[in-house]
Amino acid sequence: MEKRLIILLLTAFTVVTQGHAQTESGMIMGLEVEKKVNKQIGVGLEADYRSRNDFKTTDRWSVGLNADYKLTKWLKADAGYTFLNTNFREKITTGTSKTKWRPSYWGGRHRLHLSLSADHKVWSNLRVSLRERWQYTYRPEKEVDRWKIDETLKTKTLDTDYVRDGKAKHQLRSRLQVEWDKKRALFTPYAHVEFYNSLAVEKIRYTVGTDIKLGKQHSAGIYYRFQDMRNQDEEDSDPDMHYLGVGYKFKF
Amino acid sequence: MKKSFLALILLGFMSGMVVSCGDDDTNSFDDYKNVTDDDDDDDDDGGNPSGNDSTIVVRDSLAISIVWDGATAQLTGDVDSVTFSQSGADVTITSNTDKFLELTLSGSTTDGSLLVNSLKKYGIILNGVSIKNADGPAINNQCGKSLYVTLADGTTNQLEDGASYAESVLDQKGTLFSEGQIFFAGTGSLTVTGNSKNGIASDDYIVVNGGTITVNVEDTGSNGIKANDGFTVNEGTLSITVAADGARGIRSEARTTIAGGNTTIVTTGDCDLSDSEDASSAAGIKCDSLFLMTAGNLTITSKGDGGKGINCSDTIKFEGGTLVAKTTGSNDDGKPKAVKGDKGIIVSGGSFTATCNKSWALDNGVDSETVSDRITIIGTPTTKTLEKRKVIIEYQ
Repeated sequence: MEKRLIILLLTAFTVVTQGHAQTESGMIMGLEVEKKVNKQIGVGLEADYRSRNDFKTTDRWSVGLNADYKLTKWLKADAGYTFLNTNFREKITTGTSKTKWRPSYWGGRHRLHLSLSADHKVWSNLRVSLRERWQYTYRPEKEVDRWKIDETLKTKTLDTDYVRDGKAKHQLRSRLQVEWDKKRALFTPYAHVEFYNSLAVEKIRYTVGTDIKLGKQHSAGIYYRFQDMRNQDEEDSDPDMHYLGVGYKFKF
Repeated sequence: MKKSFLALILLGFMSGMVVSCGDDDTNSFDDYKNVTDDDDDDDDDGGNPSGNDSTIVVRDSLAISIVWDGATAQLTGDVDSVTFSQSGADVTITSNTDKFLELTLSGSTTDGSLLVNSLKKYGIILNGVSIKNADGPAINNQCGKSLYVTLADGTTNQLEDGASYAESVLDQKGTLFSEGQIFFAGTGSLTVTGNSKNGIASDDYIVVNGGTITVNVEDTGSNGIKANDGFTVNEGTLSITVAADGARGIRSEARTTIAGGNTTIVTTGDCDLSDSEDASSAAGIKCDSLFLMTAGNLTITSKGDGGKGINCSDTIKFEGGTLVAKTTGSNDDGKPKAVKGDKGIIVSGGSFTATCNKSWALDNGVDSETVSDRITIIGTPTTKTLEKRKVIIEYQ
């Protein structure tokens, strides 16, 4: 049963990614440690690694801290900070007679978030949850390489002292999830859709996967995610993504 | 199962880290030649629109002669060292060597052009050439570095653009257009006719160090000379006539210096009223930074409604030479001013004459009914006439 489910997810991932030439594929790997301080409060530490370009390029890694507080039996608040080290994609700007090329580069970003999550068991073992998250991401300014390209002469000139401006962004993330939460079951399959709003919907994530209980304190997860990019800033445009995600979580 | 899943995750991490170490940048530019902005530091004149340091340090040079003959052109010389193409009498030259390229132009065509892409500064010798291009600039220089235009001794040269330009991804802002600086020199003559845009235009600065240059821009065109980063006359004879409404004889978006030579400008256009909120007046010289005159002769006649002689949004400093600025136009739509310097008009030498038959001869940004408030006079001039429509200041 377990093997069949994993094989099914991997097969689905392979089939879906091959069908979209305009998109890229990547992997998300996560590690999470969670400490329950008492019945209401928990703290966590998590690390995340992502790739893109059909698994060939590291997209980013991140580490984060968070704390949650159970307000009621069905409502939880959560806050956290994440540092993201991101491999920003290259940018090519083509003017009427000049081309500018900023190669990809590594740079840090800082992210704060506040969330409220509500969940409800609607039928038997079927649980529905809604999470609303405000997140603020700040990209500090950074001196990076940029080249002026002369297509006619086939030359490139380094644009010295080019500084990419800092940028702050507010987003509201709304995630609706359904999961099959059966007690003492090895698998907890789930599916969710998440909208990223910043005046307009910028990104929609469709995820289907399962958590796997490995022991009292250990659990793992595997999922497939399709990330549909919309209404993006011109300077931060990314393609649609297919992700294969795996994760491990330790609770104590 | 649990062990195998943990092993799968660990394997995934390790393989992911190893495999995902490349980048996804385009490799299109990898083979492009890497050049630096200061490649020409040994003889650079960048940022010095005075042009006093414009000596060319000649490395190895390439010499190519282009002779137009009606619908064709013949190229001879070091043509194997550059890339060139021809479409009828339209000639394109691309040089990406470190050598100094010298193009000598002669002959005549009524439907030809020259387009140059050059990695390094280069020179054009006008050796009795007449180029008219029916659908674009006569000469289009896409090199962002210096272009040295030499008017060969005893020759007359003519450049003319078409009534409309064919669409192009390249900038083409006038009959003679250059992305980089232009230095004029020599003792021959050049007549530039503009039918559609500017007569001579540079996205950098322009320096006149010699030659007899005549620029005529029809009322279907724009400015006589347009320079983004400054304009200087050190020597030579420059005669400009522009006819379009709102057109300027010289349009400089930076410092403008007259340090010698003989410059004559006539504008006949009225105010350009196409922008209903901001009428734009014609002017002999319109500049956005300091206007400085130290020597030479400058005669400006502005004949259109609301025309200006000199219209400077910064300070006008007149230290020497002879200036005669005259406006003869009416004041129906605009206010004619012989000399207008928004941040001051300072006269300290030479011969300064500003006359106007309507409105005020001078405007220094001070709204005063007293002429002496509209000008700053340094020292003791031998002649000082301060009237509303006539100002003459002369020093020995």
